[in-house]
Amino acid sequence: MRDHILLFVNGRQHRVSGADAFIPLSNFLRERLALCGTKIVCSEGDCGSCSVLCGIADAASAKPTFKYAAIDSCIRFVYQLDGCNIVTVEGIADNEKSSGQLNSVQRAMIDCHGSQCGFCTPGFVVAMTGMLENDDQPSERQWRRGLTGNLCRCTGYTPIVKAGLQCSQNRSPKINECFPPAPMVAAMSGISDDEIRIEHVVGEATQTIYCPTSLEQATNFLADNPSAKIVAGATDVGVQFNKGFCHSEIWMDLNRVSALKHLKLAGNAIVAGACATWTDIENLVEKRLPQFYEIVSVFGSPQIRNVGTIGGNIINASPIADSLPFLFVTGAELQIVGKSGTRKVNINDFYQGYKTFDMQPAELLAQVKIPLPSNDEELRLYKISRRKDLDISSFTAAIRMKLDGEAIESCAIAYGAVGPVVLRLPETESFLIGRTFDLNTMEQAGYIAVKEIAPITDVRGGDEYRLQLARNVLKKFFHEVRAAGALA
Amino acid sequence: MNTDSSKTAERILGGTAVGKSIPHDSAVGHVTGAASYIDDLPCRVDELFVGFVGSPVANGTIKSIDISKAIDAQGVACVLTSKDVGPHNIFGPLFCDEPFLADKELLYVGQPVVVIAAETEQALAEARNLVTIEAEPENPIFSIDDAIASEHFIGPTRRIKRGHPIKAIAGATHQLSGEFRIAGQEHFYLESQAAVAFPGEQNQLVVHSSTQNTTEIQTMVAEVLGLSMHQVVCICKRMGGAFGGKETQAVIPALMASLVAQRTGRAARIVYDKDTDMCVTGKRHPYRCNWHVGFESDGTIVGLKVDFFSDGGSAADLSTSVMERTLLHAENAYYIEDIEINGRVCRTNFPPNTAFRGFGGPQAIASMENIIERVAEKLKIDSLDLRLINVYGDTDRNVTPYGQLYTGNHLTEIMTTLAETSNYRDRIAGLDQKNKNDSLRLHGITMTPVKFGISFTTKFLNQANALINVYTDGTVQVSTGGTEMGQGLNTKIRQLVADEFGIPFPSVIVMPTSTEKNNNTSPTAASAGTDLNGAAAVDGCRIIKSRLANFAAELLASPKDGLIPSPEHIAFTDGMVRDRRQPNAGMTFAELTRKARMERIDLGARGFYKTPGVDFNRETGRGNPFLYYTQGAAVAEVSIDRFTGELSVERVDLLMDIGKSINPKVDMGQITGGFIQGMGWVTAESLVYDDGGRLLTHSPTTYKIPAITDLPIDFRCAMFPNDDNLHCVRRSKAVGEPPLMLGIAVWAAVKNALTYLPSEKDPNLKLPATGEEILRCLTEMEC
Repeated sequence: MRDHILLFVNGRQHRVSGADAFIPLSNFLRERLALCGTKIVCSEGDCGSCSVLCGIADAASAKPTFKYAAIDSCIRFVYQLDGCNIVTVEGIADNEKSSGQLNSVQRAMIDCHGSQCGFCTPGFVVAMTGMLENDDQPSERQWRRGLTGNLCRCTGYTPIVKAGLQCSQNRSPKINECFPPAPMVAAMSGISDDEIRIEHVVGEATQTIYCPTSLEQATNFLADNPSAKIVAGATDVGVQFNKGFCHSEIWMDLNRVSALKHLKLAGNAIVAGACATWTDIENLVEKRLPQFYEIVSVFGSPQIRNVGTIGGNIINASPIADSLPFLFVTGAELQIVGKSGTRKVNINDFYQGYKTFDMQPAELLAQVKIPLPSNDEELRLYKISRRKDLDISSFTAAIRMKLDGEAIESCAIAYGAVGPVVLRLPETESFLIGRTFDLNTMEQAGYIAVKEIAPITDVRGGDEYRLQLARNVLKKFFHEVRAAGALA
Repeated sequence: MNTDSSKTAERILGGTAVGKSIPHDSAVGHVTGAASYIDDLPCRVDELFVGFVGSPVANGTIKSIDISKAIDAQGVACVLTSKDVGPHNIFGPLFCDEPFLADKELLYVGQPVVVIAAETEQALAEARNLVTIEAEPENPIFSIDDAIASEHFIGPTRRIKRGHPIKAIAGATHQLSGEFRIAGQEHFYLESQAAVAFPGEQNQLVVHSSTQNTTEIQTMVAEVLGLSMHQVVCICKRMGGAFGGKETQAVIPALMASLVAQRTGRAARIVYDKDTDMCVTGKRHPYRCNWHVGFESDGTIVGLKVDFFSDGGSAADLSTSVMERTLLHAENAYYIEDIEINGRVCRTNFPPNTAFRGFGGPQAIASMENIIERVAEKLKIDSLDLRLINVYGDTDRNVTPYGQLYTGNHLTEIMTTLAETSNYRDRIAGLDQKNKNDSLRLHGITMTPVKFGISFTTKFLNQANALINVYTDGTVQVSTGGTEMGQGLNTKIRQLVADEFGIPFPSVIVMPTSTEKNNNTSPTAASAGTDLNGAAAVDGCRIIKSRLANFAAELLASPKDGLIPSPEHIAFTDGMVRDRRQPNAGMTFAELTRKARMERIDLGARGFYKTPGVDFNRETGRGNPFLYYTQGAAVAEVSIDRFTGELSVERVDLLMDIGKSINPKVDMGQITGGFIQGMGWVTAESLVYDDGGRLLTHSPTTYKIPAITDLPIDFRCAMFPNDDNLHCVRRSKAVGEPPLMLGIAVWAAVKNALTYLPSEKDPNLKLPATGEEILRCLTEMEC
């Protein structure tokens, strides 16, 4: 058991324990290390100004290598970063190899006038450098898609896209070349599987964070500490913490439990550990399930998807969670573990009310199995939000349908943001089954659908708006299927 | 041979930096993270963290304030209320009507009441929860309609009128009228409001503020804290964005830090978090526009009357000036013989609304372009044709409703050129079929122009001063009252000054803006930062150059060759100072400055500039408020989802006349950035409040500025070549605000797309055209 973490920042080792382990990485960088290039704007992972690259040792690689991905440091707790190398904007320019030379992104941003006020610029430089880690020559579309997690209010992005395209012409050294991984891997050797428990006394209370490395350790700890707040990607709990809505004395972080990170296509199903990240899922489904890929690719931002987990999206239990309508219509199966054993629950039976679900204290979501629709089924997923990228849904829907000629053989419909939980629409579904698939049927279905839901008016839209969307997506589905059929 | 001599001539005339796309002054600092903002200043050992507790209600009176628990809390240094402020608790840029800390009346949710200073951020956060403000709530006013009904106004109705509009409208072949609603906009500068105050000797204070207006901060801190102006220095190195939001509203945080520094004798820092910033600072003004228009069958608009009402929030701030600019832009690019424009600012229970890029112009132009769209639709003629019929003329139909002769008008040329380069006619011709063929999306295309007057409409603000320090190694420091918020002001000033002395760009540095060096300055606003401060800097350079030329003339004279000293022949180019009559002789600029000092020649100067010939009588609504106009046009093509109302901006073409650009890439950055900001205002940016007047969209989670994927899929921007602007420094033009109004083309294109629905109803599209609003229109039209 360790009482500290080892964290590398721009290749330099820091041993962190006590209060510092509990703060967001952005604050640690700015206040403890005086690395003020990392800016804090929103403290909720919605602007990307605090972007840093998080390098994690690649266990699968034969020689020591770190895999780097951009994250929002404002919603990453220091205790989640044992063994990671954090590369900040200062590290990108000022490292041993290039001794203060600017990298290709920095040069291109200068040449193309990619900065105006400069406040978002470090975040962009970091995110762009992160993109070049995994792809030497991103296309214009990829630059746009890859930078949805960074907001700029000055430039109108045009010069930033130009800068990106200039980078695609000029290769920069990879981060692994700038920060040799071997010494960092060596420093972690023999201790990377340690359990970590850090305590910090605040007044009369003691804050505890426990970071297990096995599922068994996690369930045991949870059995002893059923009130522990569980952290995975921290993309929501980090926000709640920063805004003062989340208080807990005991925390458990699942980041180091490798048994929760598996992800594969097995037969006709996706099997995902609860801590599989959305980036990994996005890559897995890109070819096989383009409909789901579209939804995943507008889920948060790259920074969010790099750490956000499928388990977190399910357990957060939001009626507007982006993945849930799809998981509902596919009948995803949840594997839940406790100290006493494992059980399985269909996601359609899992939620009981707003943010309540079929799980006991001391239980953990371990795995999600998603049976995939067959190729002769129609599947459409809809996410309506005020802005296309990095936005929370105003309305979500999944419509899955199997046609037998002109007749509807089977169908499943799930809507989000229309009630306290994501809803299946059983009456609409049974109305549709057996009927002719035409506009009239879908219009009628719309009138049934709106009786099955009870949307509210909130900051993301009015109830009328949501009711109209609930009616219209059925028509949209019809036109899309017909248009696709006409093309085929 | 010819080429060579013209090159030589160019070199001798100077001018090597201006016109080049030199990278932003701070670009290296930006990309390495080394550029420092307020909250990056290292903490002094004694520094206190400052925050505040605001009003729990939108309207009411304070019954009691309990700060006892907060005072006793661990780590709290002081807890202050209006009682600690003294007699000068009221401030304001135009009217003194805004309390710094509420003493009795509560006027909006979050209005500062109690200031707390603590040793740590944690202690500050805890202490804030220990303050109780008990309020007696009263009925709040949350809408323009309610304010009008209950006659809550700020300032009088202002009017600009020409001819007999009522008669002209009645006598026209066609009439239309309507009510148009325009919502507000959050600035969303990335760096929230921030200030650090350091106490000094003799009751002095040094305040570092993220402000567009150092003089305003100096003045207000002095007034409210009971100091004299010479005891307060305000410094602004740079801002992480401002867009008008730090023209006046940087005052309150600066006052809080200053008050704590004064009371405790310790350094004090305040940095709003994003949520607080968005909740308590003012925004772009929401508007209601009631309009009546009369027009002939050929499209000629013969009469127009518009009544504007803006939501000013709870105090005047700059609202009356903002409304003034609305009145001065109500006709946008069009000549309308008989016209009446009225404007009134409404008082509501929101934070005081304030300057925001465009400053009332955007609402005026959106209102006019809405009218144009309605007329085009009514007459079933192409809206560009309608615009070209009504656009201002060159030699006639060229006087604005307020009596200013519109010179340098290139609008027709800009619009026709853009129509060609964007292939507007062909694309419009294909639109009907495109819409018939597409069962999923509706498509629309519209061109909108902008004509934007340059100068502060308040005459005295049209002045600037600059301090030029030349050092004996030939390098130069420049200081002006202009502030750098990202727009590239410092870069352009460096270019101007480098060219004046004929020295390389790196030999000039622009220093942080400080009231210690430049006093009585105007805000960096109205797009006029470079026009004013650049001209003042050039003036300062010329004063020094004149002294140096006299001196150099003596040094370079050659009596044996019959060349007597002649300052008129002295040229400053390529880092050299030469007598044009013998260009092979000469000395470096550095050498000259060294020698000048030895001869006791002053190498420092203060330049000054005041805009000539501008004035406006707001009582009569007549005058010449503007030095010149910046103009341009945009074509936007959009598609909207027929079922969800989701918007996609397919293609945008921009063409702007910004004169001879001092730095084309810096200016292009203003054009693309301004356009996208305007597009955000007219599309996705939506402010939502609860029933109690609390802002619900107070962070980027809920308030959606454009993201990178909202860029038009095909985005083409160009500058209209024009060197006829003799009014402005190096024939340039102001560029900061005008492109924002090109964003209105996107809104108009949405409205255009809706007209392709087979419906008799008018798409009564409000602004912004959010997906929800578009779907509302789609549904309403299909019913």
